[in-house]
Amino acid sequence: MLSCSMPIREAFRLALQSVLGSKLRSFFTLLGIIVSVAFLVAVVAVIQGMNAYVKDTMTGAMIGTNAFQVRRLPIAIGLLSDEELKAIQRRPKLTMDDAEAVRRALPDAQAISIQSGWPTPTSDISHRNNTVGDVMIFGVTPDYQLVLDYRFAAGEPLSDPDIRERRPVAVVGSEVAEKLFGTAERAIGQRVRLAGREMRIKGVTARKGRVLGQSFDGFALIPISTFEAIYGRRLTTTVSVKMRNPEEIAGAMDRAQEAMRLSRHLRPAEVDNFTIDKADALVNFWRRLTKVLFTVIPAVVCIGIVVGGIVIMNIMLMSVNERTREIGIRKALGATRRDIRRQFLIESLVLATLGGIFGVAAGWGLSVVVSQFTPLPARITGWSVAVSLLLGAGTGVTFGVYPAARASRLDPIAALRAE
Amino acid sequence: MSDRVIHVEELVREYPMGGEKVLALRGLTLSIRRNEYVAIMGPSGSGKSTLMNLLGCLDTPSGGDYWLNGQEVSRLTDDALARVRNKEIGFVFQTFNLLPRASALHNVELPLVYAGVGSRERRERAVRALTRVGLQNRMHHRPNELSGGQRQRVAIARALVNEPSLLLADEPTGNLDSTTSEEIMRVFSELHAQGQTIVVVTHEPSIAAHAERVVVLRDGKLDSDTRNRAAA
Repeated sequence: MLSCSMPIREAFRLALQSVLGSKLRSFFTLLGIIVSVAFLVAVVAVIQGMNAYVKDTMTGAMIGTNAFQVRRLPIAIGLLSDEELKAIQRRPKLTMDDAEAVRRALPDAQAISIQSGWPTPTSDISHRNNTVGDVMIFGVTPDYQLVLDYRFAAGEPLSDPDIRERRPVAVVGSEVAEKLFGTAERAIGQRVRLAGREMRIKGVTARKGRVLGQSFDGFALIPISTFEAIYGRRLTTTVSVKMRNPEEIAGAMDRAQEAMRLSRHLRPAEVDNFTIDKADALVNFWRRLTKVLFTVIPAVVCIGIVVGGIVIMNIMLMSVNERTREIGIRKALGATRRDIRRQFLIESLVLATLGGIFGVAAGWGLSVVVSQFTPLPARITGWSVAVSLLLGAGTGVTFGVYPAARASRLDPIAALRAE
Repeated sequence: MSDRVIHVEELVREYPMGGEKVLALRGLTLSIRRNEYVAIMGPSGSGKSTLMNLLGCLDTPSGGDYWLNGQEVSRLTDDALARVRNKEIGFVFQTFNLLPRASALHNVELPLVYAGVGSRERRERAVRALTRVGLQNRMHHRPNELSGGQRQRVAIARALVNEPSLLLADEPTGNLDSTTSEEIMRVFSELHAQGQTIVVVTHEPSIAAHAERVVVLRDGKLDSDTRNRAAA
């Protein structure tokens, strides 16, 4: 014998009919779920977008591709405890000798540079009456320009004699050049005031664009020898190494570590008094930060979903109440408890799943708006959409159980008498 | 196999009311044979609504037995009763009890939906039932687009669509004017002529006059059980 009850397809058709029959009410019922799901999708999209951005763009722009750094302090210094921080405060500065030791150990490196570190000083740069404010000043060796893959729009890069002879020359970002002189070409050979000294602009780099609203073209590179004459030797001086292929990085980092230990005369038992980090450290640092967000989001979403679920339960109870007569008719005609339960359960499932779908759509729209009108990038991920839809459906079923059970237990005689 | 569609024996139904028990039926025994057309009458409080609920398997008795079409149904669970209602009984109510947002056709299909009949067969059988009551041109109208008489015809078609062994009508003309009432009673007589077993619960003698047998209840007991010469 065939199953003696309403087919599921019929129940779904009925549910859709009922939900769409009162669109406005359904919408308000679902507001909680829509908002929660939209929030989930949008925030995850923004975080994922930033992750991808940090990985693809920021590390390239800030550390250079296929590059690693020999540093006094680790990149992700914000993650260290106070004790760890105190222990590494006594580390010596990086010197030219250290850079030389690394260079000897890595003859196959594409470029090895030394650069002034964080915090980068800023200075106004002025030419006659024009001034560009707060330009970041980096003191570097010529290889730095290779490490960061700078291309030149005009002029030429800093050279070894510039460093050796501590020449007052600078390479500026395209933004600085354009603001002062209109075009990159016109800037070449011009004398400007920078950090209180007169310097000649030697080269202008091509545009790198903006990351998170931050321009990567508003800087000036000067010989590190010139830089140290102005600002002194910095605690955070850093050595950057660029390899030709990503596969070479791990081995090169090991050799650099060995060379540094030799150069520093460390005994085997002593720990490194320097840090070797690659771009991953920056990505990891960012990931650690977003992990906090990823623990907060579920809590917020849960609250929203529970509230949304209770609203759904309320509306379903109301609907059971209003449709008491209908339930009575259906029971008189042969609907079993299971049939009635299934009808209302599927109705609340359909309702909540629609909420999930609208929420995903709203979240999607929100992330598009965010990435369109703010510097934050956004990237919708499949799993957040899947989680949202499951969450919607799950809420519908969970909070539909009680109203559905109540409907199924109605006495047909009393239900038929209801108005 | 006996040709009794309904056989109730010593049927008792009591309701708790404010700590006391009220006896609505006090040991009723009654048999109805296949293709009988019976009117159940009685003043209010006589227990005819209670009997109608029990005969319709919407309720179970506190005592006594009820065989419907040879099956003992007085001790069944809710869901088993639902299946019996679905298979054996066609209801016609005073207030029609159609689903307001569904078309006539869909209303008539409803019992078949719960019987698990496939959609094509459902449609064919519903169309046949509506044609039987003369509504083949109103199949896609909603109840509020139909007159009272037409609504009751839809309800009758719905009651017939499962080919029940019993058509059970509760004051079927209570909400209709006299002309329309006559029309509906003619439909009942036609169905009876085609072999349908019919039980009509009513307090109107003019309606009961259409039946071939009149059962009168008083105080939860059988008062009289007479053959109607005019109808027979």
